[in-house]
Amino acid sequence: MFTNLTKLDLLDKKCMSDAGSPKLCMKALPGEGAERSCAYDGARVVLMPITDVAHLVHGPIACAGNSWDNRGARSSGSQLFRRGLTTDIMENDVVYGGETKLKESILEIALRHTPKAIFVYATCVSSVIGDDVNKVCEEAEKELTIPVIPVNCPGFLGDKNIGNRIAGEVLFDRVIGTAEGSDEKIPLSINLIGEYNIAGDIWGVIPDLQNLGITLLTAITGDAKFEDLRSAHRASLNVLICSKSLTNLVRKMEIKYGIPFMEGSFYGIHDTSETLINIAKALKDPDLLERTLVYVQKREDETRKTIAGYKALLENKQAILFTGGVKTWSMVSTLAELGINILAGGTQNSTPEDFQRMKELMDPSAQIIEDTSSAGFLKIIAEKKPDLIVAGGKTKYLAHKTRTPFLDINHGRKLPYAGYQGMIQFAETLTRTVLSPVWGLLKQDFPPKEDEQA
Amino acid sequence: MTNTTNMRHYQGNPQKNSPALGATLAYLGVNGLLALLHGSQGCSSFIRLQLSRHYKEPIPLNSTALLEDSVIFGGWEHLKKGIAVAADKYKPQIIGVMSTGLTETFGDDMVSALTSLHQERPDLVDLPVVLANTPDYIGSMQEGYQRTVEALLTTLAGHSIKASVQLSEEAPSIALLPGCHLTPGDVDELKEIVADFGFKPITIPDLSISLDGHAELEAAPVVQGGTLLEDFQRLPKCSACLSFGLSMEKAGEILKKTHQIPHFNFPSLTGLKATDAFILTLAKISGKAVPEKLLRQRSRLLDTLADYHDQLGGLKIAIALEMDLLYSLASCLVEVGSEISVALAASQGGIHQLSLPIPIEVGDLEELEERAGQSTLIIANSNGRQAAGLLKLPHLRAGLPVFDRVGYPQKRWIGYEGTQQFLFDTLNSVS
Repeated sequence: MFTNLTKLDLLDKKCMSDAGSPKLCMKALPGEGAERSCAYDGARVVLMPITDVAHLVHGPIACAGNSWDNRGARSSGSQLFRRGLTTDIMENDVVYGGETKLKESILEIALRHTPKAIFVYATCVSSVIGDDVNKVCEEAEKELTIPVIPVNCPGFLGDKNIGNRIAGEVLFDRVIGTAEGSDEKIPLSINLIGEYNIAGDIWGVIPDLQNLGITLLTAITGDAKFEDLRSAHRASLNVLICSKSLTNLVRKMEIKYGIPFMEGSFYGIHDTSETLINIAKALKDPDLLERTLVYVQKREDETRKTIAGYKALLENKQAILFTGGVKTWSMVSTLAELGINILAGGTQNSTPEDFQRMKELMDPSAQIIEDTSSAGFLKIIAEKKPDLIVAGGKTKYLAHKTRTPFLDINHGRKLPYAGYQGMIQFAETLTRTVLSPVWGLLKQDFPPKEDEQA
Repeated sequence: MTNTTNMRHYQGNPQKNSPALGATLAYLGVNGLLALLHGSQGCSSFIRLQLSRHYKEPIPLNSTALLEDSVIFGGWEHLKKGIAVAADKYKPQIIGVMSTGLTETFGDDMVSALTSLHQERPDLVDLPVVLANTPDYIGSMQEGYQRTVEALLTTLAGHSIKASVQLSEEAPSIALLPGCHLTPGDVDELKEIVADFGFKPITIPDLSISLDGHAELEAAPVVQGGTLLEDFQRLPKCSACLSFGLSMEKAGEILKKTHQIPHFNFPSLTGLKATDAFILTLAKISGKAVPEKLLRQRSRLLDTLADYHDQLGGLKIAIALEMDLLYSLASCLVEVGSEISVALAASQGGIHQLSLPIPIEVGDLEELEERAGQSTLIIANSNGRQAAGLLKLPHLRAGLPVFDRVGYPQKRWIGYEGTQQFLFDTLNSVS
């Protein structure tokens, strides 16, 4: 019943063995404190932003109870995806099996919440007690008029990347291309793959796409509606945004539906423009390309003019960057845009390619963070004494103990940083963080040392 | 009476947290301890995230990082390796292990794993290792926390330490066992009240000096602040043990039986009568009069009750929380004339021993949403925001997680002053 991992296309190329490179092909060791996550988490990150479906977690409370509605993915319509739904496996279910409870739950949720589909997530415990989630979903589907889609992602299969890929397989096998009606390609249309609309990121990009005459069919899966995902095979181009965790999906869509794919990023002025130009090129419309070249120049000028004041304040500040996915490299150029130097950079949960690209973009003098545990991260901060830290939320409160300005760029943030509009927001927020008077207060000795009292 | 109306098979918007999260919380109140979760990596990752967004603090929690092979062959070797690696790499004073649904399902025997490790690594015999059984499929945060405090006491303050303690105390010590319904701010208040009666408190676990959000913290994967290992050894000398929350009663009884210390349990510390009972007990065991400061606070609370009796009497409150907190807050509100319209506990723990004018049932936040319509206020953790939003009702945040209101971990809702503050917060949330 499990996804066959050997078929999962886990590596896009052979594993890079550079120090600090993400350990895609390495197991985490017990007790070492790597602070990574599991396959279930990876699958939910990809699938849970689908807004008008129910996400039912077949597991004990630890899987859904500690995690529901905890990511910043935003919806322009249905809020059903934010509902925490779980079979809450209890002791009795462990003894007698949880299949009946699962089936009843699916039927009750269909009735109570009228979702467009139900995704059912298998977890460690449901897998160990041998519940056949596939079979239960099939049975329930026969009694309902909506798809009931199993996601076999028990946490013990591995870390987040594996879960991302399992989710990609599920979308490919069960959702994309299942819409009724025409399969014809829609001209000048794209999907954004691996964009989860954290803090409303997409909404900062859509206006630019619209102004250029490009149709966004759907993001996979930020602010996505189930019906739109089913028609995602009608896109003329797939643009792979966050990390390459969904590379398997775009590759398969290329083979089956003939949709070419390209990589891109909407973080920072340079990458946003480059991505828009590459989209125009890939869509092979000379008129679009011409429009785009003029448009991005105009937007770049406007944006640079707006952020010039922030840049003057941030220029020559020294930063430590620690993130994952596409942001690994995209943030390097974003920070460079503001005149910020990177003292050290590190990554978790991104691909070896992302890592290589970050390395190439950074100044050769910048250090690669090899020990990606909290302890290693703090050691680098103590050594480098940066002016600011740009990283994911899980290191935020630790970083604050070092009394260093910190900006969260991952899923916990409240503000959108994508596109030209996001760049302005990013510059503004970063300036406010770096120049906040509190860091000065935090660094004052109290009571003052005697020689300072005079 | 439990689960009478809710015949659903699923949990919708669960208010429960995992027992292993409760275990983590208990371990986070013990200084120099390295918490090691025996499970797959997501279990620890979700707990770190959940506690971190509640406390706005880094949460040190290690993991045995189970993978597919351990599901087939058992997690024994992973656990042994996890303890050994963590001990070698991070040099903790204590290692605190908690199990998960996964490891309990395939039945890992943690005790024999530890024995086997000690045979292979005799140098680790002197490192205290606490083992708490916290399967995710039994109970909620409260049960996990409770089991872990019991495991801490049994392992670190068992019979063997009794003779070894020779301490001359300047003040008589008193053991405090706060339940997980008390915030670090509450625990701080508790210690102050006890000190007002001349006692030196030994608090287990002590979140008021570990998760209180202070700026001095070293880069370390072990708990900083919290109960000292030596404090456990001083427990036999305590003149009494006070436990708070019904879930802590058993832990208090363990101390009583092991070291023949008188034990008193206080299911609640919020409300006039609940605080009176606590203060009178302190006066009795200390032989001292109630300090002027506390009498003054009591007098202020009485005045508040008189001033706001009408507003309080008009409240109709739907409340969903972990049992001990639910009982503490709801019984306080009942005492001042408010009506409790719905009372949903996260789990079964204590549900048959504690009573309110209406039956306490086990329920989730979807049920709260279905039944709170006629109320004037919702009291629940931050996840109650969906219910409150749909019903357009004010929502007082309490419990865990509270991530969308500032300062909850520092709140004091116990004692006379804290009760007054709780009533103020309640009234301000409906105005």
